[in-house]
Amino acid sequence: LVPMAEPRTSVLCPTEKHLVLLRDGRTLIGYLRSIDQFANLVLHQTVERIHVGKKYGDIPRGIFVVRGENVVLLGEIDLEKESDTPLQQVSIEEILEEQRVEQQAKQESEKLKMQALKERGLSVPRADTLDEY
Amino acid sequence: QSLEDCPLDEDEDAFQGLGEEDEDIDQFNDDTFGAGAVDDDWQEAHERLAELEDKPVANREQDGAGGEDSDLLGEPEDTLAERLTRLVIDSELEDPAIMQAVQTKVPTQQPGGLNSSIWDSSAVLRRIRGPLLTQEMPSVSVLDYALPQRPPQSREEERDPSERALPRRSSSPVIGSPPVRAVPIGTPPKQAAAPNFNQQILCPKPVHIRATMPQRYPAPYGERMSPNQLCNVPNSSLLGHPFPHSVSPVLTHLQRAQLLGGAQLSSLPCQAGRMSPSQFARVSGLVGSPLPSVNPKLLQGRVGQMMSPASGFRAFFGGPAAPSQPQHPPGPASHLQSLRPQAQMFRPDTTHLHPQHRRLLHQRQQQSRNQHRSLNGSVGDRGGHRSGQQERKDPYANLMLQREKDWVSKIQMMQLQSTDPYLDDYYYQNYFQKLEKLAAAEEVHGDGPKKERTKLITPQVAKLEHTYKPVQFEGSLGKLTVSSVNNPRKMIDAVVTSRSEDDETKEKQVRDKRRQTLVTIEKTYSLLLDVEDYERRYLLSLEGERPALMGERKQKICDMYDNLRGKAPGQDRPSDDHFMQIMCIRKGKRLVARILPFLSPEQAADVLMATARNLPFLIKKDAQDEVLPCLLRPFSHVLYHLPLGTVTSLVQQLTNLPQSATASAPTNLHLTAVLQNKFGLSLLYLVLSRGEELQSLDANTELMQDNQWTELMLMATRELLRIPQAALAKPVSTPSNLISLFSRYVDQQKLNLLETKL
Repeated sequence: LVPMAEPRTSVLCPTEKHLVLLRDGRTLIGYLRSIDQFANLVLHQTVERIHVGKKYGDIPRGIFVVRGENVVLLGEIDLEKESDTPLQQVSIEEILEEQRVEQQAKQESEKLKMQALKERGLSVPRADTLDEY
Repeated sequence: QSLEDCPLDEDEDAFQGLGEEDEDIDQFNDDTFGAGAVDDDWQEAHERLAELEDKPVANREQDGAGGEDSDLLGEPEDTLAERLTRLVIDSELEDPAIMQAVQTKVPTQQPGGLNSSIWDSSAVLRRIRGPLLTQEMPSVSVLDYALPQRPPQSREEERDPSERALPRRSSSPVIGSPPVRAVPIGTPPKQAAAPNFNQQILCPKPVHIRATMPQRYPAPYGERMSPNQLCNVPNSSLLGHPFPHSVSPVLTHLQRAQLLGGAQLSSLPCQAGRMSPSQFARVSGLVGSPLPSVNPKLLQGRVGQMMSPASGFRAFFGGPAAPSQPQHPPGPASHLQSLRPQAQMFRPDTTHLHPQHRRLLHQRQQQSRNQHRSLNGSVGDRGGHRSGQQERKDPYANLMLQREKDWVSKIQMMQLQSTDPYLDDYYYQNYFQKLEKLAAAEEVHGDGPKKERTKLITPQVAKLEHTYKPVQFEGSLGKLTVSSVNNPRKMIDAVVTSRSEDDETKEKQVRDKRRQTLVTIEKTYSLLLDVEDYERRYLLSLEGERPALMGERKQKICDMYDNLRGKAPGQDRPSDDHFMQIMCIRKGKRLVARILPFLSPEQAADVLMATARNLPFLIKKDAQDEVLPCLLRPFSHVLYHLPLGTVTSLVQQLTNLPQSATASAPTNLHLTAVLQNKFGLSLLYLVLSRGEELQSLDANTELMQDNQWTELMLMATRELLRIPQAALAKPVSTPSNLISLFSRYVDQQKLNLLETKL
């Protein structure tokens, strides 16, 4: 058992943003305002960041209250290194489009796979949909 | 009616109507609308309260003058608690969960109107709250809190400034709430800020406190003004006022907090069971305090507070209480000396953080300290490399109070309490042991920089036996079962019944037998784990206990052996059946491999024999698992101690030689099977090698006289020669003395042949 990172520094220094990864695969970035023992979070000026390949897009969301059970991980963003990324930021529309394309491709390949398996008489039970991303 | 339907004109009527209704209700509520609500003179009220606090708790209810300061919320609860304690016969409820719920008061507590806040566990901080509401409001901002400048002496027991109180009824926001008497934010402090304090706030996180203030609007906003409101308040920090505001509050806060902390803590010797965020905030915030006068008290109190009465809960912040005490006085004292002319280093207590975390934090502090030095006294900048623009303008920062954060981390740390770290966190302990061993080994070689391998210091709790005694109430029939977290109620009554053997089909019997075997394996495994643990326990135990431990261990070993071989009543273990059952299961084989080192030589030899006897069968069963080779090493250890006679019989068993006279068939199935299996062959080699060892050691004695051995060897070599090379399995290891063994029995030509086969 390791205690979770103490919210000492970051919750006090608003210059430090946090990145939260949720169980459904969403990535949220915002200022962590509050936290409790269940890892329920209050994020301020949150931005949902969608990554597709080397591109990403930010959707501003405002204030988020996240229920603790859906949090996978939470980390501080080093603001100096934040600008230091090989990723390229694009507009929201573009990233959403990219995401849609990616999802489609995935679905297609998944379908083909299932078909191939069925032909061979095998069947892979579908993974639990909850934590799928 | 929806909002749209009510035009503005009607609103007034509606309100009036409400007002009328309320007036009806009002009359009965003194506190809201009667004497309690009107708060003319804070000084008077304060004096009243000061009196109150001197009186014992029991008299509290009599202090009608307590007015708004009497804890309306708390009172009913208190009486209930009192009543409960009187009722309950056995008031020594050992169950901490129940204890907290019952909220028994400690008589040593000072009275005083106290608000309980959602953050506090029940009764502990009762004493503090009252006067807060009656004072002039400190200037409030979301970021900074300038406290009213009062002579500190009266502030001692006053308050927990970081309370966020629930709204009290006496300050209903709608009607009858006392007038807001916030000191405008721009009010300069009455006391001059200490000139020595070059208010560089090095630590990016000063401990914030806030005073409760009369409610303007209900919680959750509590006493906090929303940023919007703050914008309207003149001189609020939102508008970017620089640090003068922050200067004095921090100073006063520290002073205040210390006094508070000192007084508070010293008067609550043993309340650790109900630690609350505020307590922790105080404690943690005060470690770095430079004021020496309060320190001893503070630490005492702190340490005392840390000791929970029931459990030997050692200091939350790591290490036993005693050592931590002497450490701290030098710390702040040195701060005091070295830092007076300079910025005060405010170091919150970070001992309970993971060492890496702590390092990072301090690094950041260092960085910001350097930054500040270079920035030449721009105090408003806290932390970080940014110029602080964002911080100053960020009204949402620090929404969580320090004590709240501490509270959360306290909860996290509570999860780490463990009576037996080896049991609770085995892998972590082992991992660090290994690391330490490595580090120690490295250190022996040279003096490399000692890497920080400090473990996270987790609280150690002494193991306590809680026997559950059901709570009994006076005058009631029977016993009430109070179930709580520590003593959960039995939900299902599941009883194991063994079924009769008659009606079952063969398959069921087989299945049951297998299940029985599995159960036996599991039981034996628990015994094994216990036995393996004895060494460690032995080291930890006292002298007197050791014989008992050893006895226990022996007993367990015997039990294990019995389990393995099956307790045959009377007879001298004629059947290997039980053992075979176990050996057919993969886990069983691993179990045997682990048990072997603990068995006595005879027992071990017995096991070995049984294995050898039934080897082909086992080999067949092991075809899928291929776990038998795991037995090789323990077997070899066993072999090392075996006398020749045993070895001979072993070989006999293994090779199934001599075969009976009738079976003149060229094939020795047993031996073939053995030779064709990796494990079998390796085992055979091992046994032969052992025999050779014995032979070479003691040439004269029994061996030469032992015809059996010679015969066996001859036959064995004959078989080995016969078997085609391809059929031979690949052994795990080929002992070197086999050649010399065979050389005694075969001529050179055959020897060469054998050599090629091996």
